[in-house]
This record gives sequence, C-alpha cells and structure tokens, in this order.
Amino acid sequence: MRLALETASLLLAGTVGGLALNAASPRPAPLSVPIHSAAEAGGGMCAVPGAPAAPRARRIGVEEARGHCEACTAGFVDARSAAEFAAGHVTGAVHLPPVGHPDEAVVIAGLRAHPMVIVYDGDYSCALADEVAARLRREGLPDIRVLQGAWPAWVEAGAPGSAGACPACHAGGGR
Amino acid sequence: MSAALALLRIALGGLLLWAGASKIPDMASFAESVANYRIVPAPLVPAAAAAVVGIEIVAGVLLVAGRLARAASLVTALLLAVFTAALGIALLRGIDLRCGCFGGEEAATWGTVARDVVLLAAAVAVFLKGPGRLVPKAEGTLRSGPAAAPRSFPAKSGSPGT
Repeated sequence: MRLALETASLLLAGTVGGLALNAASPRPAPLSVPIHSAAEAGGGMCAVPGAPAAPRARRIGVEEARGHCEACTAGFVDARSAAEFAAGHVTGAVHLPPVGHPDEAVVIAGLRAHPMVIVYDGDYSCALADEVAARLRREGLPDIRVLQGAWPAWVEAGAPGSAGACPACHAGGGR
Repeated sequence: MSAALALLRIALGGLLLWAGASKIPDMASFAESVANYRIVPAPLVPAAAAAVVGIEIVAGVLLVAGRLARAASLVTALLLAVFTAALGIALLRGIDLRCGCFGGEEAATWGTVARDVVLLAAAVAVFLKGPGRLVPKAEGTLRSGPAAAPRSFPAKSGSPGT
C-alpha cells in the first residue's frame, strides 16, 4: 500500500514537474496541438518514405527573403511538422507539409495571391522544402523558391518569426 | 553487495537525470520522437512527452539521493520496460526513427534496445534487493573499535557498542 502511494506520488510529481519544465523550455511541446507521427504528418523527417527525390528548387538567401517578408511581397510556406511550426515560424507563414493536410486547397489558393512563394524546412540538408516546392509548381504557382539555410538560418539572422498553430490551415485540428 | 547496489542505484539515477535534463532544451523535438513510436494518441503526445521528462528527472533525483528508492526503481523499471517494448516493436516493424533517449538525433537500433534491457535489469535489482548503502550502518561503526565506546564505562559482556 505504501509503495503504491509512493509510486503514485512520484508519478504525479513527475507529471506536474514535466509540464512546468515544458513551459520553461526554449522549444516547448505545444500542449494544445496534437502531434502525429512523421509517417502520418509528413514532418519530422527529411523525406517522405518511398517518395522519389524532388528536384532541387531555386534557392533564395535569408536577407533577400527577409526583405520580401517585411514588404509582404512573398508568401511563406513552412514544410516542417505541425509541432515545429507551432513552436516558431516565419511571420505570416502557412503550414504545408509534403503530405498536405485537410485544408491544403485553401492554403494553396491563398498562396496564389503572392507573386513569389518561399518554402522552408528545418534543416540545412532537408529535402522537405524541395518536395513542397515541386508540389506547388505542379499546382501552377509561378515563382517558387526554397530558403537557403532553412529555419535555423532565419532564426540566426534575427528575421521576423512568430509562434502558434496555423489558423488558416488547421481549422480541423492541427495536423 | 550493499555498496555495489548503492553504486548501481546512483549510476542509474544519474543516467535517468541526464536523460531527462538533456530533453528540456528541445521538448518539441522529443514530443515528435514520442509521436513516431505511435503508441500514444496524437492529442496526448505533448503532455505524455512532458510527463516522461518530469518523471525521469524526479525518479533520477530520488535514486541518486536514495529516497523512496523502491518506488523510484519501480517507476524506472516500468518506464524502461515501455521504452524497450516500444523500441523493439518499432524495429521489428522496420520503422526508422530517432530513439529520443538523450535529446539528440541518436537513431534507434538493437544496441539501444540492449542498453535499455541492461538498465531495466539494474532497476529491477534495486527494486528487489533494496537501495544498498555506500557506508555501513552506524551500529557497524560502533562495533569496529574500542574508540567508539566511552572509556569511563567498563565494557560489559553483551553490552551495545562493544
């Protein structure tokens, strides 16, 4: 009985402590956003398993992309997982992983309003952005670029970023 | 034997503490690792990941300190059993994933499973045999020499401390 009580107390203390540590973490797990496995969400990996390698899209440097962001002359697409997107993304970016999500048609329609679309992912060598860029090109979007250096370079440059789930593309539940 | 158990407990606690602490800088990434095991429903993944980190740290501290060591070793054994089973199942299913063990990019392999089995055995040993002691009990110290006994009292047969 005593062991059971001690074990339950430990589990409770650990859970409460873990939630507090998560709140204090520089990259917290977003508690209100469901996190699917990479196989389901198309994020968390640098390629969709089984998919052919996407052609390398035209690159754009961080400073040039930053100028477009501040002047609102380009749409930004985040190809990372929903959790990574929620933890921080380019200001105004929409979330679109390679496997898409239920509201992707709305997202792509919104991107058509921009003369240029800049796609980024989370890793210098990641191919997710190239996959999404290839997909947007097939949708007929005219000028698609991939951010050189990906999200880490954007953060390093101190370029505009914000956090939270994507309201335009996750009305159905944040995949 | 007692000192060996104590060392085992402290090593296990230290490792657990390190495993938990190393995940704090990037909890979002650890949550994704948890999601990739596909054993927790997606809405519960972030909270489960946070809870695992907190439980690892609390259990680690208790094991190192030797407080509530049976409960801490039981929780540690349960955690490791779940990790080991989840890793084994993922590897058998051919799922390529990060193990998420120490907050890095370490890939899950059969070596990871073997390491978890060794840690699980250590946790079970501490649970079954007790936390052990690095230094002998106080009564052992009193028995160890006449210096511990007050000189003003002549030693009597069978009296404590002699």
